[in-house]
Amino acid sequence: MTSACIYFEVHQPMRLNRFSVFNIGKNNDPLSTYFNHDLNKNIFEKVARKCYLPTNNLLLDLINKYDGEFRISFSLTGTFIEYCRQYLPDVLESFIELFKTGAVDMIEETYYHSLASLYDELDEFEEQVKMHNQIINELFNYKPRVFRNTEAIYDNRIAKKIAEMGYKGIITEGTEKILGWRSPNYLYKPVNTDLKILLRNYTLSDDVGFRFSARLWPGYPLTAEKYASWIAHCEGDIVNLFMDYETFGEHHWTETGIFDFLKHFPGEVLKHEHLDFVTVSEAVEKYEPVGEIDVPWAISWADADRDVSTWLGNDMQIACFNELKEIGRKLREKKDPVLLHTWRMLQTSDHLYYVSTKGLSDGDVHAYFSPYDTPYEGFINYMNILQDLKQKINQ
Amino acid sequence: MKIAMLGWEYPPFKAGGLATHCYGLTHSLADRDDVHVDFFMPKTRHASRSDKKHLRIIEVGETQIFPYDRPDSKELSGQFFEAVDKYNKLVVAMVKKLVKTEGKYDLIHAHDWLTMKAAAVLKEDLGIPMVVTVHSTEYDRSGWLYPNQWFIDIEKQGMEKADKVIAVSHFTKRVITEKYGIPSEKVAVIHNAVYPIPEGEKQDIVLFLGRLTIQKGAEFFLRAAKKVAEYEPSTRFVVAGTGDMLPRLISQALDLGISDRVIFTGRLTDEEVKHIYGISSVYVMPSVSEPFGITALEAISAGTPTIASKTAGFSEVFNHCLRVDFWDTDEIANKVISLLRYPPLRKTLVQHGKKEIKLFTWDRVAEKTIDVYRGVL
Repeated sequence: MTSACIYFEVHQPMRLNRFSVFNIGKNNDPLSTYFNHDLNKNIFEKVARKCYLPTNNLLLDLINKYDGEFRISFSLTGTFIEYCRQYLPDVLESFIELFKTGAVDMIEETYYHSLASLYDELDEFEEQVKMHNQIINELFNYKPRVFRNTEAIYDNRIAKKIAEMGYKGIITEGTEKILGWRSPNYLYKPVNTDLKILLRNYTLSDDVGFRFSARLWPGYPLTAEKYASWIAHCEGDIVNLFMDYETFGEHHWTETGIFDFLKHFPGEVLKHEHLDFVTVSEAVEKYEPVGEIDVPWAISWADADRDVSTWLGNDMQIACFNELKEIGRKLREKKDPVLLHTWRMLQTSDHLYYVSTKGLSDGDVHAYFSPYDTPYEGFINYMNILQDLKQKINQ
Repeated sequence: MKIAMLGWEYPPFKAGGLATHCYGLTHSLADRDDVHVDFFMPKTRHASRSDKKHLRIIEVGETQIFPYDRPDSKELSGQFFEAVDKYNKLVVAMVKKLVKTEGKYDLIHAHDWLTMKAAAVLKEDLGIPMVVTVHSTEYDRSGWLYPNQWFIDIEKQGMEKADKVIAVSHFTKRVITEKYGIPSEKVAVIHNAVYPIPEGEKQDIVLFLGRLTIQKGAEFFLRAAKKVAEYEPSTRFVVAGTGDMLPRLISQALDLGISDRVIFTGRLTDEEVKHIYGISSVYVMPSVSEPFGITALEAISAGTPTIASKTAGFSEVFNHCLRVDFWDTDEIANKVISLLRYPPLRKTLVQHGKKEIKLFTWDRVAEKTIDVYRGVL
């Protein structure tokens, strides 16, 4: 028996306002001056219309049609949930409805989709995981058992912390960097603690996430039947297919046939008698690790490098990251809930992602997601805001 | 392949990118075994010489130094146009004489309106193909305000007569097709290149360098400087170059109350230009219309991060610089101050910029130019 484990990441960052050096120290309300309400609302409503609402509807139909045999997992970030609450509560309702079917699992992560796991101390990280735990519990009356860090950032230290916090499993990238010759289609355990690791099968995941509408790709056009047969040919216990939820309807538009693909996908998989679907919690219940994994330096599922250079790859990014950490140290002494929340919203990893100066092929992906013309604009804007926040804390 | 190239300026006599381009192109062409270039130019006080076997610099006539751009007085204009006309006639005579004594050329290559007339006559009389490179159009030089039909007509006739037109950017190609009605397939785009300049000891200097004409937008530089000056008390501003706007810019600096912070250098020698690029911390190129902008690449090569007009031709193919609308002086000031305050921003721009600069070689320009030659032969 081989299980297909499908999981979707659902996240939207709070994009920033244009903030010039002349704005520094000239305002009182950080939340309204830092974040671009109109832009965020527009983007969220657009993505909800193109992706969240239609995909949720389709998944609900599919779960009902296959009587719970089609099983999936979600990770909703705290900022995404805030978006729903602020702009479109219907989106949140449809996730709750999906969850009620019993065929849907929820994954834990940091509330702010941040890089807090890379700070010198892990107290802020733990705090943000707990905040996420709380909001998921509030909404779904459920406590997740499997954790996935921001963009699957993982190292031994993070694994140890997550095991200490009582989680059963953790998700990261199935890269050769940590696997060597070994297959991602099994569970593993960290070298230093007791936890089950789910590894993303990046080839099969990216076939849908990145390549689905690439006409020059030999696999084009990708049908559900073809894709299911690829999964059926995989050796191992579990094939982990993890991707952005926006894959459906946003990264690949309706016209590409992505929804038709999804519609036929569960049926085609279930035609193979040795295949079934599991949620992430079921995966860690059902299977045992076959080996150990040692990750002293952080990996992730981002870009070709599969490390943290996407966010901390140049001097500008490191300067912003250091400012963030310093602001954190200062805030600890100052008990100001508004400034604390603002600081945390600014920790969302996307702000650093926009400052990346990676080479051309990855640069294309970066440009697709960035609200700025260049990483330099991204830096100036973000850094100006961090300077303003620092001034406010010092006041 | 034997080329008669008709130029106007050539180092050390230099008013703009035209001279830089002609120098780089002819040198890289002459390095090849298969090309001989005779470069024709007006005789100036600065004798130009070639140190290449396959390149001859042939000075023609007795012209004094004249501005590349429109002269500021009517009297001088008369002289200027007369000089250009005279030069074109002398070039035609000289090329024909050399054909008689040394044999024929394969191709005529002219640069900008200044030599287009001679090229057209030679094409007709010698029956050989003609290529023109457009470094700027009358629309650029007038800042799109009051373009002079007289120049436009010469440019249009020259481009129509040419077998192929080389534009220094897609921006310029668009002007050539849309404003001059030249068919798109007749226009090739070859972006310029740069000889890197060494980095100097950086000082707290924000630099403008270019002809002080309406096209280059120095007035926007001064308005931005006023804003920067309020926030960065130790920063100095250098306006390097000369042109018909100089007196107006000096009084603008006085009106803005920043005359103690701005240094007008006047025309600089090559060595002085290199020095000022090397020691500046920020270079600003707020051109109203900029077909390419070699100076931006020069500044970047000298380790000076650059803020350039969004429409500047070089930035079509160059990533590591900051872009602004030339009129948006608040945004220019925002970026200047950010560059001064945040060393990691400067460092990253310089690091990546210097790497990217390496792609912009005159050998590449020469190779692409030869492709154009082959296409018309």
